[in-house]
Amino acid sequence: MSALSLQGICKDYGEARAVDDITLDFPEGQLTALLGPSGCGKTTLLRMIAGLEVPTAGTVTMGGRDITRLPAHKRKFGMVFQSFALFPHLTVRDNVAYALTIAGTPRAEAAERADKLLDLVQLTGLGDRRIGQLSGGQKQRVAIARALAQEPEVFLLDEPMSALDAKLREEMQVELRLLQQRLGITTIVVTHDQREAMTMADRIIVMSKGRVEQAGPPQEIYHWPASGFVAGFIGRANFMDGVAQDGKIVVCDVALSLPKPARFLNGSAVQLVCRPEGIRLGAAKTAVNGIEGRVTFVRDLGPVSDIYLDTGLGKLVAEQSADQSRGLAVGDTVQLSLPPDALRIYPGPSAAQAPTALAAE
Amino acid sequence: MLCVFGHIFMSLAAIVVALPIVIVCSAALNGGRTMYFPPEDPTFSRFGEFFFSEPVWTEALWNSVIVAVGSATLSVLLAWPIAYGLWKTGSRGAKLLAGLGSVPFALPPIVFGVGLGFFWAFLGGLGSIWAGIISHAVLFLALPLVTISIGLQAIDRAHLDAAATMGATESVTFRTIILPQTLPYTISGFFFALVLSFNEFIVMFFVSASAFATVTLQIFNSLRNGYTPTMAVAAVAFITVSIVVFSAVARWGDLPRLMGADQSRT
Amino acid sequence: MTVAGHIAPLAETPPALRPVFRWGTVASLLLWAIVLVLCLVPFVLVLVISFGHKVEGAGWEWAFTTENYLRFFVGASWPTETTFLYVTQLYWSMRYAVVASILAVVTALPFTYLMTRQSRRAQAMWLVLMLTTLSLSEVFIVMGWDIILSNNSGLPMLFAASGLTDWLKESGWFDVLREWGLANPRNVKFKTSEVATVLTMSYLVWPYAVILLYPALSRLDPSLAEAARTMGARPWTVARTVILPAVRLPLMGTLLFLFVFLLGVYVAITVFADPSQHTTAVSIYENVRGSTLNAPFGAAQSVILLVTAAVFLLLGQRLSRKSQGPA
Repeated sequence: MSALSLQGICKDYGEARAVDDITLDFPEGQLTALLGPSGCGKTTLLRMIAGLEVPTAGTVTMGGRDITRLPAHKRKFGMVFQSFALFPHLTVRDNVAYALTIAGTPRAEAAERADKLLDLVQLTGLGDRRIGQLSGGQKQRVAIARALAQEPEVFLLDEPMSALDAKLREEMQVELRLLQQRLGITTIVVTHDQREAMTMADRIIVMSKGRVEQAGPPQEIYHWPASGFVAGFIGRANFMDGVAQDGKIVVCDVALSLPKPARFLNGSAVQLVCRPEGIRLGAAKTAVNGIEGRVTFVRDLGPVSDIYLDTGLGKLVAEQSADQSRGLAVGDTVQLSLPPDALRIYPGPSAAQAPTALAAE
Repeated sequence: MLCVFGHIFMSLAAIVVALPIVIVCSAALNGGRTMYFPPEDPTFSRFGEFFFSEPVWTEALWNSVIVAVGSATLSVLLAWPIAYGLWKTGSRGAKLLAGLGSVPFALPPIVFGVGLGFFWAFLGGLGSIWAGIISHAVLFLALPLVTISIGLQAIDRAHLDAAATMGATESVTFRTIILPQTLPYTISGFFFALVLSFNEFIVMFFVSASAFATVTLQIFNSLRNGYTPTMAVAAVAFITVSIVVFSAVARWGDLPRLMGADQSRT
Repeated sequence: MTVAGHIAPLAETPPALRPVFRWGTVASLLLWAIVLVLCLVPFVLVLVISFGHKVEGAGWEWAFTTENYLRFFVGASWPTETTFLYVTQLYWSMRYAVVASILAVVTALPFTYLMTRQSRRAQAMWLVLMLTTLSLSEVFIVMGWDIILSNNSGLPMLFAASGLTDWLKESGWFDVLREWGLANPRNVKFKTSEVATVLTMSYLVWPYAVILLYPALSRLDPSLAEAARTMGARPWTVARTVILPAVRLPLMGTLLFLFVFLLGVYVAITVFADPSQHTTAVSIYENVRGSTLNAPFGAAQSVILLVTAAVFLLLGQRLSRKSQGPA
């Protein structure tokens, strides 16, 4: 049974609706990532879960009981803030022990527990330091230790990596994930970095403009994005606008096939998406969905290269491994194909919404 | 070139600013009853008179201290809830309250003094030292109000959220996070009010109604008879207190920031 | 304690919330009461008493008469005799205040600007000096200037001893000074002259000017002035076209604040100004606690002084709000 769940949560600020009718479950012991661009409502949602904001509508339940109106200091979900919010007037140990101290735990016991937590985050011996003396990475660990000190039921993190530099970020993502799995604590992470979400999460909730675009395991989100937005936000994507015609999609006068005939009314505007690594270069002229293209730019990144192409379908980017792209130069003409099972199809921006559902592949 | 001119200008300004102070301090050393500069018959006996032997002055000094410390404390105690309410809610009511509290300081003190004279006459407190303490507390309310507001603004709201997620109620947050972090500003406000109270005499004149005197009031009352070197001793004492207090604030607090400078610039 | 453990009590708690709520409102009502009574009532009293009626001796009674205001504007014996004595006093109040505040601001501006270009430590030191002078009682400041300008032992004596007086007499400047009221037949004199009064008042508010100009000047981005210099502007042009426009509004605000402050000055006037050039503040003192003892009239003068001050204060507030502008 899920530990935490939201039903119909809405949040309005005056006329503006920041969160629009969100219903989600957060399975116990799992790490869920709230992923989306800035302004999509993910932080607002997290703050409502923490009890720092009150929803305009909807309910928050925990273990079956309604906690919507319960204030933050009674929910006591451990939270790590973007700026870490460490108290400058207290030492590291006093920071970590804060929740225990104000709950009345005897000093010695609180200090001992704080030290254990500092061990857990690999900051042994730094208990007497002042916050100003710590590096960014150390501050983050203190913030994590502090949030965990009260043994919360839910662990919340608001863009925890944004204050760290890139290299440290990648290391900490792995460390944090391992820590979470070891403790088995229900965790929710807010982030705008899709790589971070892919690294850490059991489940990703992609959000945009206050709504959930898609919820599912990282692989599902990546390979089967539910909308053009998700396809573009996670990983990279080539977008093509076309028109449905007799089960195929016509893009710039080229008819492309899909694994199963597209169930759109003839003439409907649709959007096709193909990931760069899905494009096959050097295909036979007779390959399905084959087309000719001219190389306009090559970005050699070492293990892979990005090949920029001008084709009859418009401008495309293909990702090829170093071997496959050897010898390709600007101006070359290549034969490429878009295999049907690498294509995803969505209603076009101004699609006449046919009663048919989105083509399932 | 501009640098040189600038330095000359600033030095000149500093000299002009310091000159009367220096002269007054040296006049305290005068042996006779007249204020000569340079001092005639330099002696420290005036200091002895002021601090120990002449009851007029020792009583006045005692009154000055009581009123200053009492009113500064009361001022801070009054300013805190107003500043806190203003910071927490920012409501029009809170702003109005803060504005009202600052009115006595903003307007010419002679009018406030006249009004307080009538006020205490009706309440029966005219001439009591308590009237003096309360009057000064209200007069200088604006000072801790401003410094404490500056301190509160400097608090990161994320800290309050963090404390809440760790189980702190509003009062616990106030006690463990807000008060400690604003301590330097509270103390500065206290000291500003203290120093200004020491030196104020117009309001004190109307409120004390000749029943008691503080040092500056005593000097003010004796003005028609001219200045005496013993008064200059008072000046020395008060200047020393000011320098010590403000240097302490500068040393342990961030004085430029308190006075409105940007935090980031060095 | 787990969240679930808190849930059950919550369902029964609503009544428990109320005592906390009540305590909060009681405290805030008390606060309002204290502030209103102590900050507002004295001013209200002054207003009410200004409509009162003086009785023989030193007393007065409640009344509602406009005789005090009438007296202020046209004199006590109107319409038999019109005198503008009290209006003149108000005029002198404003005149001294205007000149002194302008003088203070004009000299404080370059000083403060230069100060803000120095290191933080140096700025802190200057601020300590400013705050010390500022908090110094008017009695002490006047004491100091009294000595400096004293006719027997101060500057005039210096002038005479150094031969400067003789030089002035020879060069004809001495007569000019006599015209300005700055010299007796024998020597220059500074005490009881407008110059001395304004100088002392200016000195009095100078640290205020520095402190009020400090925030705006310290936030001035130095790269703006540097950019102007790379485009060929000389120091005075930079000052005129880059710095002054940026601090125009704080400048006006400071001027207004100083003006209002100086309206209430007492000691400097009594020591340095000729009795015919005394201000309303001095007159108020005389009427309320001094020799003439006409409390209602003194109250009326206070009200008028207050209104004058309030008008300028509101102007200043309006200006400062404009400066925070359509941001």
